Amino acid sequence: MVSPMQTIHRNPSVMWREETDALARVREALERGEEVEETGTSVLFSGGTMLSLNYLGTEIWKLCDGRPLDGIVAELLPRFEVEEGVLREDVQSFLDELAAKGFITYAE
Amino acid sequence: MRNEIVLEAPLTINWAINNSCNFACRHCYSRADTQEELPRDVLLACLEKAARAGVFSVNFGGGEPLLHPGLLEIARHAGGLGLRLSMNSNGWLLDRETALALRDAGFTRVGISIDSHIPQVHDQFRGVAGSHGRAVAALRHLAEAGIATSISTVICRINHTAIDDLVAFARQQGAGQLNFHNFKCSGLGLSRRDELDLSPEEWREFYRGALAAREREKGLDISLDDPIIALLGARDAGSLVKGSVCGKLSLNIKANGDITPCGFIPVVIGNIARDDLKQVWRDSPILEKMRNKQPTGKCSGCSKYEDCLGGCSARALALTGDLNSPDPHCWA
Repeated sequence: MVSPMQTIHRNPSVMWREETDALARVREALERGEEVEETGTSVLFSGGTMLSLNYLGTEIWKLCDGRPLDGIVAELLPRFEVEEGVLREDVQSFLDELAAKGFITYAE
Repeated sequence: MRNEIVLEAPLTINWAINNSCNFACRHCYSRADTQEELPRDVLLACLEKAARAGVFSVNFGGGEPLLHPGLLEIARHAGGLGLRLSMNSNGWLLDRETALALRDAGFTRVGISIDSHIPQVHDQFRGVAGSHGRAVAALRHLAEAGIATSISTVICRINHTAIDDLVAFARQQGAGQLNFHNFKCSGLGLSRRDELDLSPEEWREFYRGALAAREREKGLDISLDDPIIALLGARDAGSLVKGSVCGKLSLNIKANGDITPCGFIPVVIGNIARDDLKQVWRDSPILEKMRNKQPTGKCSGCSKYEDCLGGCSARALALTGDLNSPDPHCWA
């Protein structure tokens, strides 16, 4: 599990892209106040494993640029209507899943 | 936060930059394909088009890519665009110097075709005496150059009972991956089907053994690219899609730029030099049909259909003329 002292880094061998049409649809849906959790907006591929991430997952992924968990939560909190504790738990759980699959690494 | 997704472009392209070849393989799918090749500048522009569309990787095949005089320049250009590069080769021309040049040009993985652990069996199948020895040497040169290697083995009548030998051979050669390619009924593979293909029951036995080997062998990635393994409750790890990946994750491009759903489906759906790749990917009626297959014949009512989606569309099309027909290899 990622600790507050650790920084979070995308594995540079992961190939990934955002799907621009899907992203545009999600942004429009968000403006209308609709749920977008089920729509994938990015695809990640590494070592024979592929992942499709929804909008929040993609935003977390893009923030895995060497900042710690606190930094990711602080960046996302103003953008999503969610309590900080809930967001932190969701982000932490998602990061641990990505780390277990080798898509990100933690550094002290 | 993981979801199903509709991709807006293929993730990978199998790209035959040339169709010339120095071998005479008994199962060759492309022997009768066009010898026309895209001019250098057009090919480089097509790679840019693929990169702009968001394609992750290209795998050069053919033909024998090492016979293309511009391979290294093409690879450097593709790598500079951010495309991940790999290649399939028969290994004949791959000496130490070439391996180093491939590494410097940006290749991260090279697959070498080896169809038997027994040199004479491989040489006879590939039609060139001494080809097994050159292929083994190529694996060594690649490894020494720091390029990841895989062994590509076309499973057919000459090797289907030799799983353990093939695995031991791959380990002996230090390959990181062993790809068991299922036999396709395309090109010479179709005309020699009676000689080379297995019965559905023999495919079942092969896949039982291959899946057991995959489970057992640690440190060697055994890849089975056949959707029919869903009949045994197995899937290739990490796959985003059910059924065949062709037209869902990948496309094939021929030496003249023609786009086909895969190398074994001889249906042209566009041309990379002329057409918009994302538009072809989105609007092709053939791809639409492959992504939304309908069960016919014994697939109707089969409990496994949801996972295998009728198996390999290329085989179904080759033998029945209909992509939706049940895979002729199916034993269910």
